[in-house]
Amino acid sequence: MLKATKKRFDIKILVANSTVSETFELEKNIVKVHGVLVTSDKDDLLYYRGTQKIEINKEEFFPDNYESKLLMSGINVAPKQRYYDLGGVAPGNGRVQISYKDLDDGRTVFTPYRVSLYLDCEMEDEL
Amino acid sequence: MMKEGVIIKAISIKRQGERKHFQIRLPKDTKFIIGIEYGGRLISRSEGTVEVPAPKAKADAKLVEAIYSAIESGAVRDDKPKAFFKRNQLIGELKLQSCEEANWFYAADVFGNDANLNWGDFSQTGFPVNDFTHGNKRTEEIVKVDAESTIINGWYLDALGKSQKLDINYEIKVYVWINVEE
Repeated sequence: MLKATKKRFDIKILVANSTVSETFELEKNIVKVHGVLVTSDKDDLLYYRGTQKIEINKEEFFPDNYESKLLMSGINVAPKQRYYDLGGVAPGNGRVQISYKDLDDGRTVFTPYRVSLYLDCEMEDEL
Repeated sequence: MMKEGVIIKAISIKRQGERKHFQIRLPKDTKFIIGIEYGGRLISRSEGTVEVPAPKAKADAKLVEAIYSAIESGAVRDDKPKAFFKRNQLIGELKLQSCEEANWFYAADVFGNDANLNWGDFSQTGFPVNDFTHGNKRTEEIVKVDAESTIINGWYLDALGKSQKLDINYEIKVYVWINVEE
């Protein structure tokens, strides 16, 4: 039986104007990735300063310099509609790579922050 | 099989009223342009520049601004002038043309943050309303244009620096969503 599940992966941005790349692995029983969402513990820094590249199974879904604000949803958006729709991607080898770039913006002052990548997945029941 | 992809073009603006012509090259296997999005980043401001996107002004100027906003937007006046809708900060004008068709296929006024996001919200002391906390999900504007010539011509005109009478250094990013044949 298939069931919906949400996955969260965190990266830390400790230095201003730096790029942080990390690869995460999805469980083997995940069969589809339906959506993607990014959030942070300091939303304003993510919104104004962040860009990222996201790859799933070595396939690039969002290229370098794709602004994080385009993948964010505020609390005004219904919980079921917050994810950016990828249309049910097969995860292949299950590797999800995020390459996040922090860039100065005249409206913010840098302080270390966390970026969370959420994936809306569908998994096979392990029974 | 068709696959979606996105091409990003960054336009750097440094002078007030600057006009930029640019080209966006698409991959050769592009079949259609299916959507356009834009975003931006403020790189630096000259000394004395007001905050973007909500300019600070003297109280009188604020009132006049509010009245103009109300007249232009057709807003209904409340008892207090502060209850008027605020005009969003215009950043510039963006136009795109494909070699496949005459005229622009996309033209937009580029605006900053939604200045009226907190309209009617009375709980601001605890949880201030901002684009990054209360903003809507952003999606591309759908267009459908053949992309056989694989080049888009673009034009951007600054309005932010012109309205503030200052040289403001910022970057506008244009996202072109495409259909690619695999």
